[in-house]
Amino acid sequence: MYYLDEFFNYISSVGPSKIIRVFWFFFFFEFVRFFLVDFTTVLLWKMTAIFRKKRVIDGRNMLWAEEPFVSIIVPGKNEGKHIYKLANSLREQTYQNFEFIVIDDGSDDETPEICRSLKKNGLIDLYLRNEVRGGKASAANLGLRYATGKFIIHLDADCSYDRDAIENILVPFFVNEKIGAVGGDVQVRNYRDSLCATLQSLEYTDTISIGRISQSQLGIYRIISGAFGAFRKEALDSVGGWDIGPGLDGDITVKVRKLGYQIHFEPTAICQTNVPVTFKALVNQRLRWDKSLIRFRLRKHNDVFFPNQSFKFANFISFVENITYNLILNFKWYFYIVDMVLNFASKLIFIVPMNLILYTLNNYFKFIVFSMFRDRKNVRNDYYMIYMPLMVLYFGFFLRFVRTFAYLQELLFKASYEDNWNPEKSSKQAKALKL
Amino acid sequence: MAMNRTTENIQVVDHKINYSNLVFYVIDSTNSILNIDHTMGYDAIILDATDPEYARIVLKKIRSHHNPEFYLKPVFLLNSKTTKDPVLNSLHDGLMTSYDQVADVADVAKRIFLKTTQLDNQLVPSFEGQTIKKVLNYMYTRDTRSLKPTVDLNSSIGYTFPELSVNFTAAEEPQVLEILEWADREGLIWPDFHEKIYLCNNCSSGYLSYREVCPHCNSSNSKSEDLIHHFPCAYIGPISDYQNNIDNSLTCPKCNKALRHIGIDYDKPSVVHHCNNCDQNYQDAFIKSKCMSCEQDTDIQYLIPKNVNVYKLTRKGRSAATSGFLSSSTEIEDIFGAINMQTFRIMLHYEFEKVKESTTQKTTVALLHLENIFELYNKIGKKAERKLLEELVVVIRENIKPSDVIAFESSSTLYLMLSNTGTDNADQKLKNLSALTTNLIKKNFNGFNVNLLYKLKVLDPEKKADTQLQELSKDFFA
Repeated sequence: MYYLDEFFNYISSVGPSKIIRVFWFFFFFEFVRFFLVDFTTVLLWKMTAIFRKKRVIDGRNMLWAEEPFVSIIVPGKNEGKHIYKLANSLREQTYQNFEFIVIDDGSDDETPEICRSLKKNGLIDLYLRNEVRGGKASAANLGLRYATGKFIIHLDADCSYDRDAIENILVPFFVNEKIGAVGGDVQVRNYRDSLCATLQSLEYTDTISIGRISQSQLGIYRIISGAFGAFRKEALDSVGGWDIGPGLDGDITVKVRKLGYQIHFEPTAICQTNVPVTFKALVNQRLRWDKSLIRFRLRKHNDVFFPNQSFKFANFISFVENITYNLILNFKWYFYIVDMVLNFASKLIFIVPMNLILYTLNNYFKFIVFSMFRDRKNVRNDYYMIYMPLMVLYFGFFLRFVRTFAYLQELLFKASYEDNWNPEKSSKQAKALKL
Repeated sequence: MAMNRTTENIQVVDHKINYSNLVFYVIDSTNSILNIDHTMGYDAIILDATDPEYARIVLKKIRSHHNPEFYLKPVFLLNSKTTKDPVLNSLHDGLMTSYDQVADVADVAKRIFLKTTQLDNQLVPSFEGQTIKKVLNYMYTRDTRSLKPTVDLNSSIGYTFPELSVNFTAAEEPQVLEILEWADREGLIWPDFHEKIYLCNNCSSGYLSYREVCPHCNSSNSKSEDLIHHFPCAYIGPISDYQNNIDNSLTCPKCNKALRHIGIDYDKPSVVHHCNNCDQNYQDAFIKSKCMSCEQDTDIQYLIPKNVNVYKLTRKGRSAATSGFLSSSTEIEDIFGAINMQTFRIMLHYEFEKVKESTTQKTTVALLHLENIFELYNKIGKKAERKLLEELVVVIRENIKPSDVIAFESSSTLYLMLSNTGTDNADQKLKNLSALTTNLIKKNFNGFNVNLLYKLKVLDPEKKADTQLQELSKDFFA
């Protein structure tokens, strides 16, 4: 009780300027970027929807008038167990003028038997198998090489799709011909499997989906998820398809952006996927994702920062925003901690709880406000309410520490080249050629 | 046996050699007789095999004859050359290089002759039974205990069983397998696996051409290419993507780097086929087999698998030649309007009980035998044979009472049970049936004249029904 009295005394005694001094990291960076900017753009997006409505209807009509042939490619290793469900999910689609190409990247389980059987029964149009694993990029490229569609849709085998998902992801191409690639909205299917999965589901719902709407509106959307992305084939052919990962989803998006195409996020094209259910598996996944920021943004595509012939302002802003908020602010947070320890050591017992309360309130507020912008939910809002306080720990500490570790590993040791996500033969070459 | 082996004693006079109470008939190409009926009455034949083709034709004629007088006759080949022909290799009784060796083969001829006298001559009432009995007779007289398959390019299935196959043309070889399976089911022979073959599901030929075809259009017009994966840029495509028209180097179409060292900067993870007919790409080609006889293209899973076995005589098979055998075949039991023999026997038993109790009721049992029908069956195949039997039942049914019963003993023999029918009435009915059946077959099968025989027996209340049925069969085939 004494502590609570002291805590409230402290809070009531500090003026606005002191609050901003103490919580500057929150007010100047996180609140501004992850609430104000997102909220403003999403609000504008929602308010202007009426103006886009006719163009979207026209685009949809054009899609059905042309009904272009589409190639759906699904690369993967040992994914046989998911392919039947996926094939059935595709048979339910409203848009059916597609070929379904499955690339088996050296599976060593029953995948070949399953896929051959599905091919024989007409559920797969083309099944190609590499006896030796070549990595996800090469598998996707093999699908691209034999794809005959005007548009390429890249899917992950363990995902399932809304009935109109394929149709909806194609519409933007007919709304704006400058759009070269469209990302679908990925929701978490197994959110009830564990606390870890629930927190990720909340992250996907609140941050990733809303964040991507916002990025798309600002023209800085930079990662089309491999689980659900559509591309103009000519764009993919021009960039030579996918390069060695990990992080190939972001890489291919940047490559298409560099060609001058716009990248669009389509929140009505909905896909559901399974996320890691243990924190250990999540750490591995996020280390891989986060390392790619250094490898691809800072190294491979650093030409985006320099004024040259192919310089594009939107790309520059996209990269600067990405680097600033993910890399620089990530390290700046430690600077904030040091600042607090050095300057407010005696008040830390108040500042830390206050910080947690501030972030939690912000998370609740964001969630409620943004829920107004979500048309299609796979989880009821109230399900998340009790987990919301944990998001401070999940976002503010767990993911931040993982990110920091990944950045350091990649900056200091180029650890992504050692990742067994790619076969050694490919990683060796990529490292030697500094790709 | 004291014998004069000097050349001067062996004289060929008008194609005959007399030696040691045996008369050998000599056939050489100068006979130019292929009517082997001329050899009737001679003890053995010496066949000049200088011209193997001629010798083969003659020997086949002898061994495929339906009369034991001919097919069991000892045949010795003179001047035989090395050949792969299974008839010449397997169906002779000895080789000679000169007539002087008559003395050497005379014993063989006598031994065969002696064994021939021990054979049971009772007819078996089915084609399969008759054919296998003939083979068993031959094997008994030659002390042979197994039927061995021989590779034969002339056989439509690639294999031949000389002792049995000699009765068939090359195209009819699949029937040989069926007869062997029948004999196996009858317990006359015992199979010992030798090889598996696959036959066309249309014509049963074994000459099949297997090839990979496009799973989309079944065309075999395809081009196969290695896929190449270039590690540095993750490009993967067929080798033609990497080739140029100038030299033999391989250059990545994505990053323009030259491919240097397989396993280091590139590998070949698989192969892709491109169909030149429908432009589809595929990796898992279908395997299809094309029959070289009827040209039918078949998925290999629909081919007919057959085991080619070495068949050894069972105890029943060994004694069948001298004691005969009763067929237990039940294959023709599901023709609408007819019943199987087992049911027929039961119904006959009930009919017999009724006849015993009645002083007025007369029931006649008749045996009908289509004597030469197998000549037709050989030509028309199993499906048409079945159809013919169904039509036959329809014709018979139209001419007997609904309460009368028809049963097939085999595809050439059937029994009728005619209730309340005396001998005269039954005889008239069967005469009519004979005429109708003969006309039916003649009209539908290019004028084929079937030889239809029948025998009647009025059920005797004093004898067991089964015994009377056996007597009818015995009287007919004896």
